[in-house]
Parts: sequence; C-alpha cells; structure tokens
Amino acid sequence: MSGAPKKRGTRIEPFRHRVETDPKFFDKSWRKLHDAIREIYNHNASGLSFEELYRTAYNMVLHKHGSKLYEKLTENMTEHLEEMRVSIEAGQGGLFLEELQRKWDEHNKALTMIRDILMYMDRTYIPTNKKTAVFDLGLELWRDTIVRSSMVQGRLLDTLLELIHKERMGEVINRSLMRSTTKMLMDLGSPVYQEDFERPFLEVSSSFYSGESQQFIECCACGEYLKQAERRLTEESERVTQYLDIKTSEKITSVVVKEMLANHMQRLILMENSGLVNMLVEDRYEDLTRMYNLFHHIPEGHPTIRSVMASHIKETGKSLVTDPERLKDPVDFVQRLLNEKDKYDNIINVSFGNDKSFLNALNSSFEHFINLNNRSPEFISLFVDDKLRKGVKEANEEDLETVLDKVMMLFRYLQEKDLFEKYYKQHLAKRLLSGKAASDDSERSMLVKLKTECGYQFTSKLEGMFNDLKTSQDTTQNFYAASSCDAVDAPTISVQILTTGSWPTQTCSTCNLPPEILAVSERFRAFYLGTHNGRRLTWQTNMGTADIKATFDALTYREIEQATAIPAADLKRCLQSLALVKGKQVLRKEPMSRDIADDDSFCVNDKFTSKLFKVKIGTVVAQKETDPEKLETRQRVEEDRKPQIEAAIVRIMKSRRVLDHNSIMTEVTKQLQPRFLPNPVVIKKRIESLIEREFLERDKTDRKLYRYLA
Amino acid sequence: MACGGRVRFNVGGQVFETTTTTLANAGRDSMLGALLDSSWNLPSSSSPPPPPPQGGGVPEYFIDRNPSCFAVLLDLLRTGSLHVPPHLPEKLLYREALYYGLLDHVRAARWGAFDGDRLRLAASVPGRAPGDGTAIRAAPDGGCCVAHGGAVHVYNWMLDERRPVSLDHSQVNDAAYLDASTLLVAARERRHHHRGGADGDGGDGGGGMAAFSAVSGELLHRFRVAHAKQAKPFTAGALAFDGGGASVFASCKGRLNEHGVGVWDRATGEQADFFYEPPGCALGDADKLQWLDGASALMVASLFPRSDNCFIGLLDFRAKAVAWSWSDATAAASALGDDKRVLHAVAMEDGRSVCVINQYDDLGFLDLRKGGGTGGGVRWCSRSKLMSRKVLLPGEESCYPRLATHGGQLFSSMNDSVSVFSGPEFVLTSTLRRSHGGAICDFSIGGDRLFALHNEENVFDVWETPPPPII
Repeated sequence: MSGAPKKRGTRIEPFRHRVETDPKFFDKSWRKLHDAIREIYNHNASGLSFEELYRTAYNMVLHKHGSKLYEKLTENMTEHLEEMRVSIEAGQGGLFLEELQRKWDEHNKALTMIRDILMYMDRTYIPTNKKTAVFDLGLELWRDTIVRSSMVQGRLLDTLLELIHKERMGEVINRSLMRSTTKMLMDLGSPVYQEDFERPFLEVSSSFYSGESQQFIECCACGEYLKQAERRLTEESERVTQYLDIKTSEKITSVVVKEMLANHMQRLILMENSGLVNMLVEDRYEDLTRMYNLFHHIPEGHPTIRSVMASHIKETGKSLVTDPERLKDPVDFVQRLLNEKDKYDNIINVSFGNDKSFLNALNSSFEHFINLNNRSPEFISLFVDDKLRKGVKEANEEDLETVLDKVMMLFRYLQEKDLFEKYYKQHLAKRLLSGKAASDDSERSMLVKLKTECGYQFTSKLEGMFNDLKTSQDTTQNFYAASSCDAVDAPTISVQILTTGSWPTQTCSTCNLPPEILAVSERFRAFYLGTHNGRRLTWQTNMGTADIKATFDALTYREIEQATAIPAADLKRCLQSLALVKGKQVLRKEPMSRDIADDDSFCVNDKFTSKLFKVKIGTVVAQKETDPEKLETRQRVEEDRKPQIEAAIVRIMKSRRVLDHNSIMTEVTKQLQPRFLPNPVVIKKRIESLIEREFLERDKTDRKLYRYLA
Repeated sequence: MACGGRVRFNVGGQVFETTTTTLANAGRDSMLGALLDSSWNLPSSSSPPPPPPQGGGVPEYFIDRNPSCFAVLLDLLRTGSLHVPPHLPEKLLYREALYYGLLDHVRAARWGAFDGDRLRLAASVPGRAPGDGTAIRAAPDGGCCVAHGGAVHVYNWMLDERRPVSLDHSQVNDAAYLDASTLLVAARERRHHHRGGADGDGGDGGGGMAAFSAVSGELLHRFRVAHAKQAKPFTAGALAFDGGGASVFASCKGRLNEHGVGVWDRATGEQADFFYEPPGCALGDADKLQWLDGASALMVASLFPRSDNCFIGLLDFRAKAVAWSWSDATAAASALGDDKRVLHAVAMEDGRSVCVINQYDDLGFLDLRKGGGTGGGVRWCSRSKLMSRKVLLPGEESCYPRLATHGGQLFSSMNDSVSVFSGPEFVLTSTLRRSHGGAICDFSIGGDRLFALHNEENVFDVWETPPPPII
C-alpha cells in the first residue's frame, strides 16, 4: 500500500488513469494476495491485515482484473493442495486418514479466510461471469487435486472399506475419524460421497452379506438365522447414524435385506423343523415377531407369511373338522375350534401387530374349513346349548359372555346360518321347556348377539318363545286364582302355552292321560278358551313332566303301551332309560336284556338307593341327532329356503324390471349370502316356479332375459 | 472482543466507535463481519496484537473508504433504518454498501412494505426506444424489465440498466421473473426466418420461450414444444408459473395445429404436458395466464383485440379439461346496445372470482363457483358514472386498461392513471397519476414496488411505499 502513492507522484498522469497505467498493478497486487495466502496456509496469518487484503482484491476486481485474479487463485490454491497431497500420501497405515483429516481441516480454515479476502469478487465478478464461488472452488480443487488423485482415491476407499469390514468382524475402530472422513466426502457434494464411497461400499457390503448368509443358512435354524439378520440390520443402521450419510440408511438396509432375507425368503419360511409352521405350532411369539418385522422390508414378505399361515390353518382345521373321532363329541369339537381361533388371535395380536390382512387371512381360512363339515352349524348350536345349560354352575356370567362372543365369531364363519337357526331353535326349546336354561340373562344376551349379527327377523321367533313362557306363567296363575274353590284334590298342573310357528314343530304323538290329569286339563282348556277367543289348544304330552306318587304293580310292556298309547319308539326309549342305565335302575326289567319285547315286565326296583335327594335320569338317546333326524332337519331347512329365494328374486326383479339369467343368479346369491349359500339349481327352479305363477316372464326375443310382471 | 465489545474504526481519517453487537447486524458474510472474525484477529506469538492498544485497549481498525457513507451505513446497522443526507448521492452510497457487502441491507431499508394507498413516486426512468413498449415486469428484488420490440431491458433495483436480453428481432410478447436472477421471455416466431430453416433444429425461426439470466442477459435455456417427438417452432404468448414453483406455462401457437397451452417442468426445463385448445376456446391466443393455487388450475384469458371475443377459462391439467369457462361471444352480438367489452381480466387472490374491466373503466366480477356460460354472469359495478375520467384530446393515444391484484388490493390502469381499490367491496381508495408520459400501457407489482410503463417515450415510473414513520 505504501508503494502506490509514491509511484503516482512520480508520474505526470491524469488522476483517473492512475491504476490503468501502472503496468505492474496486477502483479503487485497479486503478489500481496499470493504471499498472504501462503501465510494463511502456513498458520501464520496473525500478521496479516484483512482490510488491506480485502481492499487489494476489491481494486483488482474493480479494475477488470477479475478473470485474471480468478485464474491466479485457482492456480495458486492448486499448488498449495498439491503440497498437501504429498504429505497425505506419506502418511503410513492408520496415519493416512489422520493426515488427510488434518489437512482437510487446515484447508477449510484457509479457504474461509481466502473467501473473506475475495468476498467482493464473490458478489460481483462471479455471478455475472457464471463462475464457481470461491469457497466452492476450493472444495472442487480439493476434490480433484486430492480426493480423486490417483494416489489417494483408491487408498482412501480401501482404507474406509477395510475399517468397516474390521468393525463388522467385531473389532473396535476409530469412529470419529470415520465420521469426519465421510463428512468431508459429503461436504464435497453428494455426488462425490455417492460415487467415491457409497456405491463401492454398497457393492462390498452386498458381497459380504451374500457370503455370510450362505454360511448361516447352511447351519442355522430359521429363528437363529433371523436373529443374525436382525442383528446385522441394527448394526448397519447404527453405523449409518454413527458415521455415514443418513441417506445411506435406506440403501444399506435394502442391501442387507436383499442378501440376507429376500434371497432366502422361501427357504427360511418353509425351513423344515424350524420354519414358520413350526413357530406357529409351538407358539414362538418372539421368533414370529422377528420374522414379521424383518419380512416387512420385502414387498412379497408379508403376503408369503400370510399365505403359508393360511394354508397351515386350513390344513389343520380340515383335519380337525373331518376327523370322525371328533364328531363324537360336539362340545369338544367346538371347544377345539375355539382354542385354535384363540391361538391364532394371540399370534396375530402379539407377533403380527394385529395386522388387518393377517386377521382377514385367519377369518377366511376358518370360514373355509368350518364349512367343510356340514354339521358345524349343529355342533356350534350344541356347544351353546351346553354352555347355557350348565352356565353359571361352571363359570361366572362374565366368562360365559366371553365364550359366547367367541362362539359368535365361529357363527360368522358359517355359510348356512339358517341351519344354525333351526338347531338353535330346537335346542332353545328343549332348554326352556325342560327348565334347564341356567340363566335367563345369558339366554337373552345370546339372543341380542344373534340379533345384532343377523337382524330382527332371525331372532323374532326365538323372542316369541321367551314371551310365550312368560305369558304361560301368568295364565296358569290366573287359572288357579279363578278356580280356587273347586277340585281341591285334583293334581296341580303347570301349562306352557306355545304359539304354533314360534316353536319347532313337534310330531304330535298323543298319549292317554290319567283321568285326574285329563280333568284338570279340560278345565284349563275351558278357562283358556274362555279368555282367548278363536284359539286352538293342542296338548304336547310328550314334552310334559309330572311328579307322581303311586304304588306300582309289575306291568308288561304291552300293558303299558295299551294304557298310555305312547308311540312305541318313545315308550321304549323311556323304559330303557329307567331300567337299563347302570347305577340308575329305578325299574327292574324281566328279563334283564337290552331290547324290550312285548312280554317283558317292569316293576319298581326296591333295591334302588341313591345318596341324592333328587335323581336325574337322562334319556338314552344322545343329544346329537340321529341320521334320519338329520335328514329331516336338512329337508326342512331346504323347504324354508324356497320362499326366501323367491322373495329375493322378486325383490331384485321389482327394482330391475329386466335382467338376464346370470345377473339374477349373482344378485340372489349376494343377497342371501349372510344367511346361506343358495344352490344355483334351486334358484333356477324357483325362477321357473315364479314364471308359472306369472310373477316373471321370459323375454320374447331374448330367452335369457326375464321380465318382471307387475 | 476486548473492552465490553467496543470497536473503533478509522475510516478515511474519521474515527467511529461502535460495538460488536451493532456490527453483528452486518452478518458474517460481510466485509465488517470478516474483519472482526476471530480468524483474522489471532494473537500472534511473534508480533504484538494487530490493533494498537491506544485509547484504553479498544481495538482500532483502519478502513480506507469514504467516511460520510460509512456514517450512513453504520447508522443503518445501528437502527435498521436508512437515512441518506441530501448532499450524499445515492449511487455513491450504493457503491460503498457493495464494498462492505451491505447492499441487501440498504435495499431492505430503502423502502417499506407495499401498500397501494401509501405509494409515492420514487423515480421516473426514461426509456430507450420510443414507442412499442409491450410490457413491464417487476422483479422480486425490486428491479424490473421492460420489453419492447425484440429486446428486454433489464434494470436492477437501483434502477441501473443491465445488459439487455436481445431476441434477435423476434417480437417479445411477455416476460416473467422466475426468480430475481432468471427471466422468462415469450416471443413471436419470425415470419421470414433467414436461410429457410436449413438448420434442422426446427426451433429456429426465433420466437418461442426461453429463460435468460437477468444479471448477464445470457440465454440459459430454451423451452421446446415437441409434436410427434419433433421440436416445432412456435409463438409463445402469455406466461405463468405455479405457486409451488414446479411448472411453467405458456400459451403457444405453432404453424400447424400446435395451439394451446404448453407446460414445462421448471427444474429440468423439459416439456411436461400440452393442453390442446378445444373448439371454442382460443387458448393459443391467450393474453393472460394466471395460476390459481386454491383451485390448482390455470386461468386463461383471450382478450380483445387479439381475439374478437373475450374468452376466460380455467384449465384443470390433471383432468385434462376446461373446468370453467366464460365468453362474451353472445353478449357482444346482442342488440341491447350494451357493447361493454372485456379488455382485461385477473383472478382474485381468494381464487373465487375473476375481475374484468371494460373500455369504460367499469370493473366486473365473474363468480368461479357458479357455472360460466356465455354473455351474462358479469356483475358490473358501473363505476364509469362516478369517475371523472380524463377526456382524451383528439389524436391523443389511449391504451387498453390493465388489472392486477396485490395484498388484497385491486389495481387498474386506465389512460394515464392507476386506480387502487381496497376493502371487501373494492372501493376506490387511491389514484396514481403523473403529468407526463401519456397513457399507461402496462404496469406490474413486485418486490414491494409498482412499475408503470407509459406509452409516450417509454418512460416508466417507480412507485414505492415510504419506510414506516418514526413514531
């Protein structure tokens, strides 16, 4: 600075040309900056005057030396960096990275100061001439002179990859040095980090994990292998947070996932003795959770797990419902289904994060195999019957509620819900009439469940049954209140008045009543019809019970049959129950054979004793339906379906007016699906019947079309 | 810094004392920021600390610059407001601010936040070429550009002219600032392009659309329209870009059937879409495009005199459909004698309506939420009766009116003045008028300034809001 005014003094030039005419202006100014930059790189900047340097650079730019200055700067900085490179290359072994790091820090500090000096150029010359800003120029030069120089590039990459390999093999490495080195690469711009480090890193990782997974899969069980994979994934993501770019996280994860999981997915899931099926069978929640979480990374991972699980459930379920051994005990049958359901509910809840798609798979699998056995509706109803009979005796009402809720789950899987309804009605009727319904609350709660599931129609008749019982009680009371004075000696009767239609139809087998009972019955009939006009009463004697006090003679079967007129099958069944059940032989039969002949005689077994005050004698016949009964129920159900199918057809045709055959089929099926799966042949028959009755007609031109006739 | 953060400067012989806190306002990326940074003030082992310890240990720095400008700039750092003494030329101050790296500070303090009702005339810049000024556009940083003929003259916020953008004799139709340093220009294709298109490029009849550097005037990118994978020459009309900054739109007219609105990706500059004009919608001739953020649609307006009837439509690019449209085709033909022609249109900022203006300076509104249709639908406010319009002298040239919205206010230019309408009912609240320059042919608001281009001599006025009062 001190030189310039002197020079000016010696020349006789107009003031405004002062600098232009100094041929050495640029060189002198540049020398000043050049020296200062050297001092900066030598950590000797304390003697420098920023103001002077800034002003010098300003003047150079102002006097149109911007491009020359830029050129010189590039040249000069490259020289300094080349010096640095020499000392970096000299770094041996572990010192190499440290030296590189030290020089990088130095360069950064120097670069900031150089940028400060040239700030004016950064603001004016560089944007108008589309040059790289000074700081970025410094980074580019570092990249090209050092990081990508032939001597450093390969060595840097090898060193980094080797350290990472060591760490993978369990050694402890200097992570902070790793971090600062990768940060340097990132500072040079993401392309540098990606091309010079990330890509080769991913390639090396890929072959590392490909080898490791080969090794593991040969010797590890599935659970063990997955543990390893999980550990590796955690390690890699920790590595990223420790010293790699956060964007690498996804990429390295996908490498590990591909090599360790995706490439071996089928083999792992289907692995014999340790794969998914074993985990399911043994309820290995932890392993299942791990498998679910790990395979989440692979698009086809969860679908595969799901389908293997579903086919396993279907398989075990099928063998369960088709096992003839299981058909012997309906309660156990349903209990096993419930256990199976509980098991998988737990697995999905605990290990599969309550994943909706898995729940759906579970449901459809159950739906599939439960309907493989057409007795499932009956058995489920029997199971409910069992629970509601014993009910509170075994468990409190809350537990019963949960059991009933679970049963409802099974009920939802049923295709033939109407069949269930039939059975449920029968079983409910028996419970109610024999007074074995343990808890009215539980009964009603079950009804509410069915109602919410299937709607009002489904349960209206069942509710009718409850109402009948209630009114019967009142009526009986009224009857006795009205007839208190006469016939004190007559036996007391309790009458249940059942509305025809609400209750399962009974084959009305009458029997001869004893005259005392007959008299009371007739009085009751007169009383009832007196208060209710236009009704008809029929006695269902086969459903009745009586307490009797009597003296018995020995009677032959034929005598009993003639006196009572009870149908032979029923009578025989009763007598067998009374005389042939071991330990409960109230009657003695002569001879003591199993079958009953006409001349067999029965008398009271005087030797019968019991600790109990009240002895219950079950009927010999099993709760389950016998084959002919089953056939009959099936026929009744089929018969009941006809009007429903017809109603559906009419509803559909009423709104559509004209429809082709196939569409009707699909729509009817869709409408009725909640209750049962209609048979296409039956639908077709119903359509024909409707055509005959002139609800529908075939289109005259297109025979496939049906028209609705209003 | 030592001594309670006090700092002393000797600027050109005059001593200033201030605090590091005040100087921190300059920022690290300024000359003063660097000067005080620790890396430049390291205690030396060999020599004593650089600032001489006179004056009670307060460090002192010498700066070889103009002291009176430094005083103004130091005051700016202290108070955040700019006070320029009358004797101090502005250009001198700007130059010094650039030296210290404080030019952005000066610009921010130079004028206040835009308010249409508090505008003052700040400058009047004489034009280059007489006549033919087509458009003026405000830059986001307070600069502007004026398109006339085959060139766009670019001014920085100090109103110094930069290197112009030259289009080699293609007529400029529209210009828009993508950002402070990037200018989009739409130009008409030359009719007789030289050497009969032997260049094979297909795009070189001039014209079309391109991005230029607003700093250096260089061509940065040329936007192409391709049909059947071949770039076609075209005339670009109006320009717009969307709020998210992802797409650039232009109305295009090719030589064959390439009429419509072109869409380009802003990041890559590649053509992303082309909306061919359906029958009855003159999209290729559009005079005005405007992106509506709320509706995610582009408003297209084709106006008199370029097209005989006014057509306004909203284009939905996702559905590839005209979501709403209006035209005055039947109203113009009706025998009511009501020959109100829509001459300009602007979508209101709430995106619910479009404001239009006719030759009598009446404002009208079209509801975008109702169906458009033809003819009626415009709710006219017959302002013309209330306005004392300047009666044109014979031979005096008039200009078509223009509309703009900004910050909830509505602006319209008519003849030699700009009217400002405010409030929910858009009441006339201010009029900007100047005695010379003739009618206003275009105006633009941006960078907290309003620029109005006059028809005569291409002079343009700069209106800005003064900084807020002291108390």
